[in-house]
Amino acid sequence: MSNYYKEVEKSMKFLARNKGTIFLGQSVIYSGNLIYKTLTKVKNSKKIELPVFEEVQLGMSLGMAMNGLFPVTCFPRFDFLLCAMNQLINHADKIKLITNNQYSPQMIIRVLVGAKKPLNGGEQHTQNYVNVIKRMLKTIVVWDLKDEKKILSSYKKAFKNKKINLMVEYSQSY
Amino acid sequence: MYLHIPKNLKIKKVVNYSLKELREFESKIAKDYNKAKIKGPIHLSHGNEEQLIKIFKYIDKDDWVFSSWRNHYHALLHGVNPNLIKQFIFEGKSMSVSSNNPKFFSSSIVAGILPIALGVAKANKIKKNKKNVWCFLGDMTAETGIFHEVYKYSKNFKLNLNFVVEDNLLSTNTPTHKTWNKKKYFNHKKYPDIIYYRYSNYYPHHGTGKWVLF
Repeated sequence: MSNYYKEVEKSMKFLARNKGTIFLGQSVIYSGNLIYKTLTKVKNSKKIELPVFEEVQLGMSLGMAMNGLFPVTCFPRFDFLLCAMNQLINHADKIKLITNNQYSPQMIIRVLVGAKKPLNGGEQHTQNYVNVIKRMLKTIVVWDLKDEKKILSSYKKAFKNKKINLMVEYSQSY
Repeated sequence: MYLHIPKNLKIKKVVNYSLKELREFESKIAKDYNKAKIKGPIHLSHGNEEQLIKIFKYIDKDDWVFSSWRNHYHALLHGVNPNLIKQFIFEGKSMSVSSNNPKFFSSSIVAGILPIALGVAKANKIKKNKKNVWCFLGDMTAETGIFHEVYKYSKNFKLNLNFVVEDNLLSTNTPTHKTWNKKKYFNHKKYPDIIYYRYSNYYPHHGTGKWVLF
């Protein structure tokens, strides 16, 4: 396993140690993508396997955060996160602004940029929208996790900053 | 008045607002809007007071309530401070009136509240909190795919999430049933556990129907 993978795995173990965290998405309990591999050391009682309904997933995660939990909501590819843009841009990003700071939920959104080697997932599985999405967001903090040495520290900061955080990981580096 | 309330629901509180008081609140907002004192869109209610007063008897003060851009009545009836509601309205945020105590949240995006309400209900279940979550949605929202996903998930996992469909036959000014080529009213009998009522618009979709110069 690469150092990159090991750092992500350490980060997930760090998050899992905290009582309120809950990991949700597709393939968090059942195998199927790299998200699953990074969560194998997290207890299943801390995970919720979800149907494929990306927009509902992100809104649901936001609602759980509003109600006191700390969701770590996982999207295996950036291409799939696009299906949740309404909840990401119109709701999660704007919630503090539209509620006059009455709701200030905390959560982590994990997304992976699909790899092109050794297999190229193609146009709908490998796009990286990190620069575009940074320009669209007003309050969500975006972490571009290219450097393996900064992965754990970034996750720790994201856990403590009392904000919504979008963590962009790179499958190619796994 | 057409109102369907499932028989299993129990009355939780006395509602503190009368039809007259609700109408007076909206009427004052309409006057201020016509005087160009409110520099953002407003979506006023009128004609659904009796239905909402009956429905809110089933909603506990500690429950969560989710609404849409037309939310003033829902906020008042859930006990949100009228001054806080006015503050949102006068700031131009009428479409997103919210409150942390009591728990009230609204969104100006069609179906936007539904997944969020689902998450609140899911968290309640995880935390073993038996309080209810209530979603008020229009007839077009009730036809969306998001509604069906959220409804299915909430029922399959037995979450305390309740839906109230408010059917005025319109989405903005578009007749919902014509766009879907279906019968006139939302078929609420397919969802016996949903509260459902019908009403007709008095005010336009937004504003007051008068030309206001800002």
